[in-house]
Amino acid sequence: MELGRLKSVFHDSLEIPKETPVSDLEYRSSAQWDSLAHMSLVAAIEDEFGVMLDTDEVIDLSSFNRARQILEKHGVVLAD
Amino acid sequence: MIGLLHPDARLVDAANGVTLGGGDLHDRVADLAATLDREPPGMVLAAMPTTVAAVLRFLAALHASRPIALVDPRTNGERLAELADRFRPAVLFGDAELMPGYRLGPDRRLGGYQRRTGEAGPAPHPDLALLLTTSGSTGSPKLVRLSRAAVLANTAAIGVALGLDGDEVAPTSLPLHYTYGLSVLTSHLRVGATVVVEASPLTTRDFWSSMDRNRITSLAAVPYQYEVLRRLRFAPDRHPRLRTLTQAGGRLNPDLVEDFHRRMAAVGGRFFVMYGQTEATARMTVLPAERLPAKLGSVGVPVRGGAIAIDPGDGSETTEPGRTGEIIYQGANVMMGYAETAADLARGDELGGVLRTGDLGRLDDEGFLYLTGRTRRIAKVFGVRVNLEDVERSLAQHGPLVAVAGSDRLVLVVEGADDDRLARIRAEVVSLLGTHSSGVLVRGVDALPLTPTGKPDYRALEDRC
Repeated sequence: MELGRLKSVFHDSLEIPKETPVSDLEYRSSAQWDSLAHMSLVAAIEDEFGVMLDTDEVIDLSSFNRARQILEKHGVVLAD
Repeated sequence: MIGLLHPDARLVDAANGVTLGGGDLHDRVADLAATLDREPPGMVLAAMPTTVAAVLRFLAALHASRPIALVDPRTNGERLAELADRFRPAVLFGDAELMPGYRLGPDRRLGGYQRRTGEAGPAPHPDLALLLTTSGSTGSPKLVRLSRAAVLANTAAIGVALGLDGDEVAPTSLPLHYTYGLSVLTSHLRVGATVVVEASPLTTRDFWSSMDRNRITSLAAVPYQYEVLRRLRFAPDRHPRLRTLTQAGGRLNPDLVEDFHRRMAAVGGRFFVMYGQTEATARMTVLPAERLPAKLGSVGVPVRGGAIAIDPGDGSETTEPGRTGEIIYQGANVMMGYAETAADLARGDELGGVLRTGDLGRLDDEGFLYLTGRTRRIAKVFGVRVNLEDVERSLAQHGPLVAVAGSDRLVLVVEGADDDRLARIRAEVVSLLGTHSSGVLVRGVDALPLTPTGKPDYRALEDRC
């Protein structure tokens, strides 16, 4: 699968403009990714990749890269 | 303030684990109060971040019998300046540029602040202790004037209703400028309990680590946080000390009420549903945890010293079971009134302990209150009250549109707008409310539904949201 799919999920659920890169994004470092948006991001990731994140994964999902690693644990490998 | 800070009360700074308690806490508060005493007379206006320094400042102002207004720490410089201009505080804490008539405060023990050098307004009323913003006021907020007696009465009554004692440990899971969040702080300090000053939200590893490390016993949350807790598959058996959950800040879906009651009851814990308003300091009713199954959907009975009656619409007051109408609350915790300018700070009590809540409800045969709606048009966005008419007024230049309450969201229905215009309106509302964009939905319609008298049909629109 392509990494672009995860990027789109970040763009859409955090409402980040298309031209702004998301791969360096970290939780709570921008107004768009606050605690309110976090839950919709998690839900969107689950929907997109058909996975179910557990409690620890939800609270560990603290950056774009972390999201990628967590998805890998679920067998979703995203290629650049 | 005598009576609010128990000799055993403790503050724990979650950021570094440092504990400040007992005589040390008292000395720090008294020392800061003495420092504040040297500033020009009048009220303190303070941005209220979730930090130990901000809590100490707040306690010091109460100790020094100096009224303090607490505002959202995200309030930008422009808005702070507007507030300062209107209320002429003697001392201002917050991230604002130096204002005309103010100088930087010299005493670093208080943190950065500005002190008034210009002319003072009228002296604040001697009973006035605390000023909180009415949530939901867009543009220029009103302040709720709360007396020392109201703050003490409500703080004590909350302790009784929840059975708080010195063994409790509570985190600041809600903002401290928000009445519910502040009441968690004050009600615990008053009984000699521990408050963990934790700035990270529920959705972070930091929060949960600090929760277990500090052996938290209770957690206060508003409806959207219960959605988060459910999503996190909150399991109380993983946190053996955490045995009390409280909920206020708007109506929680009855499914969630039952769900969290069951989760807590299964481990011998308690779940409290409560109802309050800033205008009543914080809390008006609490549903005793053991009565929850029999009274599902109720917000409980008045806190100690409070009474509730229903005005069925004719100006009378009744406690007859089953009659629906505006909830009238009476108690020592009712505000003195609102303040819109510095001159209002000098005013005395204008309500005589009686608050028309603007909420609709009914009592059952045992006096348990059930909320049924609002008399005024109000939405809750992430637990924060938003006046829908204010929103519509500020957007009037965009043509016909109506604001309605969705589920913990504000929904704007706009007539005949294309996507570009909808996006512009949404951005404007998000900035107006200072909320996260996911709290605002904007929809376009060809024509707004109207009632037979030609007014927008809010009921029909709400049913679709």
